[in-house]
Amino acid sequence: MSTPGTVVFADTNENDQLSLVDILDHVLNQGVIVRGNLVLSLAGVDLVYIGLDVILTSIETAMRHMNATSGLSDEAS
Amino acid sequence: MGTRLNSTERRVLYLYGVTQLRPATPIVQVGVDLQSAVEAIGSEGVTCWVSRVSAEEFENSLAKNMENLDWLATASVAHQRAIQAISQHSDILPARFGTVFRDERSLADHIQKHLKQISRDFKRVKDADEWGIKIFESAPTPNPVPKVSSGKEYLMAKAALLPKKQPAQIPAEELKDFEGALSDIAEESAPAGRISSGQRGLLFQTSLLIKRANRQRLETALKKFSREWAETRRIECTGPWPPYSFVSQDSKPQ
Repeated sequence: MSTPGTVVFADTNENDQLSLVDILDHVLNQGVIVRGNLVLSLAGVDLVYIGLDVILTSIETAMRHMNATSGLSDEAS
Repeated sequence: MGTRLNSTERRVLYLYGVTQLRPATPIVQVGVDLQSAVEAIGSEGVTCWVSRVSAEEFENSLAKNMENLDWLATASVAHQRAIQAISQHSDILPARFGTVFRDERSLADHIQKHLKQISRDFKRVKDADEWGIKIFESAPTPNPVPKVSSGKEYLMAKAALLPKKQPAQIPAEELKDFEGALSDIAEESAPAGRISSGQRGLLFQTSLLIKRANRQRLETALKKFSREWAETRRIECTGPWPPYSFVSQDSKPQ
């Protein structure tokens, strides 16, 4: 819990400060959309209109994967 | 994710984004699939940042995978980390999550066709980062949970300490002041928060494009409002993000 009257700053260079929800908010918000026959797959953003509570359950799994992967590890699973 | 690519499996180019400069030394960073490297490919005078990923995982099954929350969470964090690593070296136009090309030729054709727009976008985001701002209703001062005689009473007492699901709105005048102060500092703003719009106690959110020279002004403004709202609201600020929300969208996905 932050002290009243202070801003909570979370630095994207310190990944442990960020919540997965914030990452998804920005990563999936927009971005360059490409078109034409050159593009084979585009993520349908509508697919991710999913409940926040459900997303939060994925945090632990995501972080476990990420922490198990440092650099180009051959052990990534 | 999690299935090792074999050497015969077809791969596609997963695009993270485009930069104007190419760093002198390679960027060592694992890709969106947690297996492939992040590579730089020069095209039309710009540098495209890609990974060679499984076509099955990122082309044929992408839509299905995005409904798998474990997959989505892991891939989106890896996507963000890759773009963040690239952006340490140069301003980047981030590609939308899940953008893949069949081969280098199709990527080059795309870049060539959109070069003018890419050039405009580089000017738009030059020396700037995206920042996420959220205002939450302050949680009530935590009181000790009173003595209870059942699990149900305990949960009800704990729930009473949480912000309401439908919080009070910020008075229009106060919100206008806040948005006015931010618009003096930001180059642009964009709607934010498709995912987190259901967060408990969330009153307002926006994404801002802020020149790096104005970062301190942003912090100062947020601290000022935070002090004024100390009893009622809490401000959260995340960043610096690559400018995900401030690159052109040239079409609807097909």
